[in-house]
Amino acid sequence: MARKPGETIWSDAGRWLMITLSLVFVLFPIVWLTIASLKTRNAALAVPPELIFTPDFDAYSRIFSGGFLGAFQNSLIIALTNVFLTLLLGVPAAYALTRMRGKVQENLSFWLLSIRMAPLFAVILPLYVLFKSLGLLDTPLAVSMAHLTLTLPLAVWMLVTYFRTIPEDLDQAALLDGANSLQILWLVIIPIARPMLASVAILVFIYSWNEFLLAFILTSRNAQTVPVAVASLAGTMSFDWPLIAAVSVVSMLPALVFVGFAQRHIVSGLGSGAVK
Amino acid sequence: MLTDWRFWFSVPAVLALGVVVLFPTGFLFWMSVSHWILTEPGVYFYGFQNFATLLNSSAFHSAAWVTVSYLVLSTTIMLGLGFAFALALSRPGSPGYLRALIVMPLVIPPVVAGFTWRFLLNGEIGFLGAYLLPAIGLETNLLASPVGALFSVVIADVWSRTPFMFLIFLAALQSIPRDYYEAIRLDGAKRYQEFWLVTLPMMKGAVSVAILFRIIDALNTFELIYVMTKGGPGRATQTFSLLGWKIAFQGFDFGGAAALGVVMVFATTVVALIVFRRFMRSA
Amino acid sequence: MGSISKRIVRLTAAVGLLSATALPTFAATEINVIGFGAGFAWSDLFGASGTEKTQKLLDFEAKYDLVVNMEFADEEVARQKVLLDLVNGTGNYDLVMLGSDGAVQTFSAAGYLEPLDDYLSTATDIFDASKVYQPFLEANTVNGKLWGLPYYSFGAGVVYRKDIFDKYGITSFPETTEGLEQALQTIKEGLAADGVDDVYPLTMRGAPGEEPSLDLSGFVYAYAGYPAWFEGGPTTPDEIKKEKAQPIFTGDFKPGFETFVRWSRDYGPPGIATHTWVDMMNLYAQGKAVVLMPSAINAFAGIPGSEVPEVKEHSAFAPSPVGPSGKAVQSFWTFSVGVSAFSQNKDAAYKVLAFLTSEPVMRDFANSFGWPYTTYPEIMNSPTLTDRWPAEMLSQIEASFSDADPHYFPYIPELVEFMDQIGTAASSSIAGTTSVDESLEDLQGWASERMTRAGYYK
Repeated sequence: MARKPGETIWSDAGRWLMITLSLVFVLFPIVWLTIASLKTRNAALAVPPELIFTPDFDAYSRIFSGGFLGAFQNSLIIALTNVFLTLLLGVPAAYALTRMRGKVQENLSFWLLSIRMAPLFAVILPLYVLFKSLGLLDTPLAVSMAHLTLTLPLAVWMLVTYFRTIPEDLDQAALLDGANSLQILWLVIIPIARPMLASVAILVFIYSWNEFLLAFILTSRNAQTVPVAVASLAGTMSFDWPLIAAVSVVSMLPALVFVGFAQRHIVSGLGSGAVK
Repeated sequence: MLTDWRFWFSVPAVLALGVVVLFPTGFLFWMSVSHWILTEPGVYFYGFQNFATLLNSSAFHSAAWVTVSYLVLSTTIMLGLGFAFALALSRPGSPGYLRALIVMPLVIPPVVAGFTWRFLLNGEIGFLGAYLLPAIGLETNLLASPVGALFSVVIADVWSRTPFMFLIFLAALQSIPRDYYEAIRLDGAKRYQEFWLVTLPMMKGAVSVAILFRIIDALNTFELIYVMTKGGPGRATQTFSLLGWKIAFQGFDFGGAAALGVVMVFATTVVALIVFRRFMRSA
Repeated sequence: MGSISKRIVRLTAAVGLLSATALPTFAATEINVIGFGAGFAWSDLFGASGTEKTQKLLDFEAKYDLVVNMEFADEEVARQKVLLDLVNGTGNYDLVMLGSDGAVQTFSAAGYLEPLDDYLSTATDIFDASKVYQPFLEANTVNGKLWGLPYYSFGAGVVYRKDIFDKYGITSFPETTEGLEQALQTIKEGLAADGVDDVYPLTMRGAPGEEPSLDLSGFVYAYAGYPAWFEGGPTTPDEIKKEKAQPIFTGDFKPGFETFVRWSRDYGPPGIATHTWVDMMNLYAQGKAVVLMPSAINAFAGIPGSEVPEVKEHSAFAPSPVGPSGKAVQSFWTFSVGVSAFSQNKDAAYKVLAFLTSEPVMRDFANSFGWPYTTYPEIMNSPTLTDRWPAEMLSQIEASFSDADPHYFPYIPELVEFMDQIGTAASSSIAGTTSVDESLEDLQGWASERMTRAGYYK
């Protein structure tokens, strides 16, 4: 991209300095974690740390001898179901809120946004009672539904702010062409919003993938997720730092793959939107 | 009429949330006026006694201060950093892998993030706390000093959750129509004016979403703090969230914990309303 | 590990019998176990990852026509899960993990546990109560009834670095708290004079929450000479109610509390106000602490993995020092398991419980970890441990069980909450946020209000 008028070399240097510093801050703990996963217990705790050492894959072999893969499968099912449900319910809702006017719209917006104000420690017992009475304890569906309380408001609100930038003229034009409102949403709005949908999907996926407490409380043997498995191996009573580190490294891989994949969509689509 | 049709699109979402949220919230309000303590078997109506006990306890007062400081500190830093990251990486030509790298902490579960930072900052065996910081002349033991501990928890939380802000802001920045900039540039605006006159106003909605979700997130932060400091030293990092857990699962007082939950619901709603009025309406 | 314990227990793990009993003709009774510390707890049955089944377990299952499924979880949240199960009477879990520092007292008072006294005679071939160190059973006895069987358990003691003591001219380990404080001072001055700034004379735990309370209560007991929480030292709800005994946290509780705080601040590592048993263990294993007490087991947990030769070669054990009252500093704990009152199949549940705490299982625990602590005298005096440890040490540790007063803190339903408040008060004072007097004033006020609200003084 050609330099815009008024843009100086200095601002570019400043920008890259900032990016570099941020990357150090962001990546240092991850790199450190990865290194620790390859050390022995004592080497991992040594100060000053040894920079040159023989990698030890013991921690990794211990993970894979355990039943960690089933947890990956459960997490994937739960997170993907959640992404699907969130978009299925959230996209039409967000579209409706964007095109509505007046008090109803305002109240509904606020209600959707503020719905998750109750802290988790206070709603765990009620949620447990709810899913017990629905007969859904220990099913992936229960976890996906519980996660909706976190992800649906998030998705609706990100989409509302985005849909607002799509001129209503487009709706009107499609209407004149004889489209009904469902077709407008499906054929006009969603194609334009695809990049935004990708980033919403990423966030929702990560939220669901990482969420620990609800996933733990609402499941037992059949639907254990990755963070639950991580915590059981590397929980508050563990003192095996390389194992904690190795489990963490392994647990972030799938989410990273997903992010990397969806990232391409954002890059390719965003910024060039149809809204010219 | 088009508008009427589209209105119904919101109904499924409202219904779904109604089931998963309204029931628990109603249950919560009922618990808050009930005497429900495991150590004294029998559940019965208790009026506002739970609230009286809670509001009179010193633990509540200290947790209120800690929560507010934690919320303000972490929100300010996260908003600033997230915005800066998004601005720096939203320009065309920024490599996509940089964005993926910045987002990485988000995929690390908070419990692991807490462990990592705790080990890094540990004053006796941590790389930062015992090695790097002393090497540059900072000898304080961060985690064991009341102010240092709060700061440590904020740093870890910023590390873990800023990418979330970054993604929201990035998405919003990308959706600002290019021609707005072109128009204002034709009028002879400087770069910083573009920022104040176009970027910032267009980001209002995203900022309010980010703030609101940050508030909810911060009020729910539990594992990270628990793992790093257990709310200490003393009560220096014991937020409402940790206090609520203690009341419910150390004191086994479900009524008392629910009372704190209700207080938090009201406080959050007030804050949310202010943010909402300030940013959303006009957006 | 004073707490692996704690951790584990607080933990509350639980074992559940699934309702497969409905199909007895072709299905064995299924037993779900939820536990903490994969690779630590029952690793002889479920392997290092906690997801396998060893031959020993398979044999047990075949013999009694049971299927045991272990679910390992994080301790803090697992406790909530068990609690939700119990509160709602869901009954998924038939066996519940307990700890003798709160869960036993609270859950038994709430009516969630089944008294085990009548079951003891039903499976003596698996578990024989008369063969266990009696104090560990006593620790799980509330109101005259037994509520849990002990798994991993320990008594008080000190582990210290004999080489460093020798270096600074202290030839025998002090027998009194007064003598020990002098020794710590000598070591502190000696280390400072030698320019050693990363070795601390003492390591204990001062994290907020229940973490320090087990040890701190042991100091209080040694200084006051009785469980000085309430006037006159009552340890049961009935006694407290009868005498209307008020809390005395600003009274006789204070000397022990004050000493614990002072020692932590003056001789402990800088981060001690946030230290848990893990930090305690790591510091000792890294050779950065000279004395670890009074939950000596935390040192034994760290020594085997230590790569500091001096730690392995020169660590020694000493009995817990005696306080001004003539009683020793206590630290006594059992990680126990009980039968849920909501169990649909209590007899089978008890069988599994008996197996989980049986001698062969405890022997495997001793074999794999090698710590000189066990619940069976027979294991203590067998080559499993006598080959690894000096006889004198083992008999001192045995004495720490028999001399212990398991009820060195009150056995009241509110114990978990008290342990939490006491530990948090200690952490505040160690960090210097509040003075000892301020912390205790606050604690006293909280305790009076709490006990009044619970109806003790009606």
